[in-house]
Amino acid sequence: MKQNISALMDGELFDDEAEALLDKIKRNPDAHEEWHIYHLVGDALRQPDHLHANIGPALRERLQAEPTVLAPRSRVKQNVRWFALSAAASVMALALVAWLSVQIGSEPAPQVAMQQSTALRPASFPVNPELNAYLMAHQEFSPSTDVQGTASYVRTVAGQ
Amino acid sequence: MQTAAIKPAFLSTLLLLAATTGAGADPIRQDALNWLQTMSFAAHQTDYSGTFVYQYGEHVEISRITHITDRDGEHGRLESLDGPRREIIRHNDQVWCDLGGGKVKMEQRQGGREFPALLPEQLTLLNNNYLIKPAEEVRLAGFQAHAMIFQPKDNLRYTHKMWADSVSGLLLKSQVLDERGGVIEQYSFTQLSIGGDIDRKWIAANQPVVGSHAHDVQDANHTHKQHDDQDLPLDGDQHLAHNLSKLAVSPVASGWQVDALPTGFKKIAEVRRQLRGRDTPVIQMVFSDGLAGISVFIEKADHDEDDHSGLSSQGVIQVYSKLVGDQLVTVVGEVPPRTVMQVADSVRNGGSQ
Repeated sequence: MKQNISALMDGELFDDEAEALLDKIKRNPDAHEEWHIYHLVGDALRQPDHLHANIGPALRERLQAEPTVLAPRSRVKQNVRWFALSAAASVMALALVAWLSVQIGSEPAPQVAMQQSTALRPASFPVNPELNAYLMAHQEFSPSTDVQGTASYVRTVAGQ
Repeated sequence: MQTAAIKPAFLSTLLLLAATTGAGADPIRQDALNWLQTMSFAAHQTDYSGTFVYQYGEHVEISRITHITDRDGEHGRLESLDGPRREIIRHNDQVWCDLGGGKVKMEQRQGGREFPALLPEQLTLLNNNYLIKPAEEVRLAGFQAHAMIFQPKDNLRYTHKMWADSVSGLLLKSQVLDERGGVIEQYSFTQLSIGGDIDRKWIAANQPVVGSHAHDVQDANHTHKQHDDQDLPLDGDQHLAHNLSKLAVSPVASGWQVDALPTGFKKIAEVRRQLRGRDTPVIQMVFSDGLAGISVFIEKADHDEDDHSGLSSQGVIQVYSKLVGDQLVTVVGEVPPRTVMQVADSVRNGGSQ
């Protein structure tokens, strides 16, 4: 039976033989199914854009019950971003190593220490009111008082 | 005709260039120094009152300042207009501070100058430590002002920019900038009246109290000095006088040394004094480069919560404390954090007191 169907599709049967077989296929559901499968296999082998598959009713129902997912492409993009980030990180790491080697190579150690103390600035705290006595005592002698006069004392009372 | 007109302009541009870049820079620098002296003179001799904005970081506050010079000398008053009421009253070298709890006498400069203005040696220091450049002319608070920039020759001090009234020389605006050109602190008048009818009632209101306290202090200095270190039980006025006398400032050779001062800083004072709220006297050494000051305070550490160590800042002022043996060293100055730390780390006792 399968051989006959295959022969029919390849056009290797005589007209009367083909007519008899087509009659059989129409009446026999199993043969009909076979006929479709052979066509599907043939289509798949020729790699067309669309396959004419006769999807069984059970499968169609299951497909319709599947929820539709509306964010299909993000995964690919994320991968690209991850790659970009890690590439950037490597470049920065390289730059840091290059910078460090330049620093170590040409700068004397005290300079490096000074750079570190500059970075301490954000960590400094606002002056505690208990330190105000020092500020007042300092302001008394500070040259800034000579130019600004009493206004320079604003530093000793500000923010209290 | 046209070339003749262009030529003088070109020549003067050339001369100006030569003057600013070449050996001819001295006249301009001398000009700048003269101008600074004028500013200092104006700050102490002009009667004025106005409102100014003081900013650092996110902090902005508005204060009113009044300054009057009469036959008794200088009177200055600084009032905060934002937040809790704070007031500073100055009469010559005496300062009273009112932080809401009544007037408190803060300090008395021994042998204080009646008109502390820039001294010639201070101008020389300034000239050695900063590149002084004239900058733009602008209108500020209704006055025509011209600016000057004081650029340090190292990164151990800040850049200062000052705008002064072209007529009186009064400081209208001042900025302190870090090495990247960022503004750390700014002081700027929004309203200013020079001369004319300035409210003097506060002077009259303060004078009697101010006067008697000042005399108490003077008397106490002369008569109670020998008792200062003794804990004599004193009552009433005597007790007050005794307490006030403890705030006196007296010159001393402490034996303490600072090894790593930035170049150009000269010692301008070394005193022993009592700070308010402290039981033991402190040594204060003050160094100046003409524009910025560094004070080094040394006192016996009492190892309680008062002994703050570490760095803190208030606008352009940095405070850094650390323990050196059993002494607490506190460095205060209008200089970058690295400078106060460097100074504190180099403090040592070079001999007996």
